[in-house]
Amino acid sequence: MKKGSGLSVYAILYLIFLYAPILILPVFAFNDSQVVAFPLKGFTTQWFGEMWADANLRSALFRSLVIALCTASLATILGLFAARASVRYNFPGKTPAMGLIMLPMVLPDIVIAMALLIVLLSLSVPLSMLTIIMGHVLLCMPFAVAILTSAFQSLDKSLEEAALDLGETRAATFRLIILPLVMPGIIASFLICFTISIDEFVLANFLGSGKPVLSVYIFGQFRFPAKVPSMLALGTILVLFSIILLGFAEYMRRRGIAKAGGKDSGGFL
Amino acid sequence: MTSADQPTMIEFKDVHKYYGDYHALRGINGTIKAGEFFSLLGPSGCGKTTLLRTIAGFEDISSGVIMIDGKDMARVAANTRPTNMVFQSYAIFPHMSVAENVGFGLRKDPRSKDEKAAAVAEALEMVGLKGYGKRAAHALSGGQRQRVALARALILKPKVLLLDEPLSALDKKMREHMQVELIKLQRQVGITFILVTHDQEEALVMSDRIAVMFEGEIAQLADPETLYRRPNSKKVADFIGTMNFIPATVLSEAGDKVEVDAKGLGHVTIDAAMAPPAKGESPVVGLRPETLTLLYDDQKAAERETEGVIDEVIYFGDMTYYDVYLGGTDVEVRLSMRNVPGRPVLDVGTKVRVAWSPSALVLFR
Repeated sequence: MKKGSGLSVYAILYLIFLYAPILILPVFAFNDSQVVAFPLKGFTTQWFGEMWADANLRSALFRSLVIALCTASLATILGLFAARASVRYNFPGKTPAMGLIMLPMVLPDIVIAMALLIVLLSLSVPLSMLTIIMGHVLLCMPFAVAILTSAFQSLDKSLEEAALDLGETRAATFRLIILPLVMPGIIASFLICFTISIDEFVLANFLGSGKPVLSVYIFGQFRFPAKVPSMLALGTILVLFSIILLGFAEYMRRRGIAKAGGKDSGGFL
Repeated sequence: MTSADQPTMIEFKDVHKYYGDYHALRGINGTIKAGEFFSLLGPSGCGKTTLLRTIAGFEDISSGVIMIDGKDMARVAANTRPTNMVFQSYAIFPHMSVAENVGFGLRKDPRSKDEKAAAVAEALEMVGLKGYGKRAAHALSGGQRQRVALARALILKPKVLLLDEPLSALDKKMREHMQVELIKLQRQVGITFILVTHDQEEALVMSDRIAVMFEGEIAQLADPETLYRRPNSKKVADFIGTMNFIPATVLSEAGDKVEVDAKGLGHVTIDAAMAPPAKGESPVVGLRPETLTLLYDDQKAAERETEGVIDEVIYFGDMTYYDVYLGGTDVEVRLSMRNVPGRPVLDVGTKVRVAWSPSALVLFR
């Protein structure tokens, strides 16, 4: 036996354990039976059609998309400020401030959700899509800041000075030099925040009004066995969509670093 | 070039800079003349880069005045100063082509697109990068990046070009090559160049005048030859090249002559011009290695000679360095001899005669 082959067997088993359940999703989404069990009955696309015909699902999807778009935009813009400040400036309280921004990454979602719910209710703020967006921005900020910090770090400070030195204003320097060089990071941050928001369940469930978003709607539908296959069809589409988005985000991040002539350090893929 | 009769380009009047409690520039005074190749030389942390950045406008000064071409720069922002900078990292915009980099400063130039393109091509040709315009900037080598940075700064025809250790990232051969190219380029464009460097050799090779800086102050501002032959302090003498320091006692001082007794050399008369103002240190005389010569066989010294014993031999190929104890004392001097045919390299322990000239001595006290 070659050295290290034990480790690769372990790695393969690990990956199967991790991803086989997800592969079940498309298998049963195309299975011609309401019962999710082997043996498979036959091939059908019926569940995809049924899924799309569900008006409640469509409006839940629409709400989720709006929330994800707003969350991704807000978190990325706020992350831009935070990342820029953390890379370029030194100010009192910087370390605790950055620590607090990154904290939601390690805090249990359920704790954040409960705390926010209590605060919102005691301030008698009505629960709505807006409150979900607030929660999601909090959740996404650490990711946005991490990605954008890496983008700003690979940016040489003398590039800005050079542009100023060559007669440009600060605003033009930002537009002509900084923005193009961190743009891949901005896109990556936007896409990752979007993905996080769209499949987030806990906060969306706690902070939402009676109208469910997609993840909450899916959870609700699992109570009805007849609905399960079409939910699997939806899940299949979501997995595909997530993989494409994340892949694109990582591609943009790497391209950004290569463009700025820097070395890759970290990232999510 | 002789710059003594040139008008003043930059003037520092008692410039101070604090970073919090740290006193980075401690009263800089001096002038830089138009068309001069001027160097700020010093060890790292001496404030040379800070001083350069105050000229560019990237750093505010805490007090004092910086004038460029007769105008006070106090309220002039970096992007409107008549200076351009070549950065240590070159700061080439990685997302642009070579031509876009070089033409960056021309964005607001009212000239037509074709005229600007011609100016870019001309600037690239000047730095030896003709035809490189369409290349991606991030794919260039270190030497080429530097040339792009030069072209990008010079295309704006600044009054002053600031160079922040531009050669430090290049290998030795390339560095020596670029030193000569920069001198030629400076003569060609006639712009005032201000170079920051920690490399004394580089400063001596390239500059019309040099300001040697230590701890936020200018220790000496002079042309390379004066700096090398008549350093005004032991510290400057030690920083620039190699210098032997020999303990001495001042015997008498009359008119423009100083009589000293240097250990191992004996009584010497030193011209007052070679004795910079006293600083209250214990007196030493300084001698450069190349002003000392070993005498072979029956050679006679032109002026003075002293006996000695070789303690160490360091062979360099074209040169040999000898460390020699002078006249039975514990005073050791280093001297350099060119290795010419018929002049054997001597062994450790050989008794030798060393020729020297009193006029080469500098007295520090």
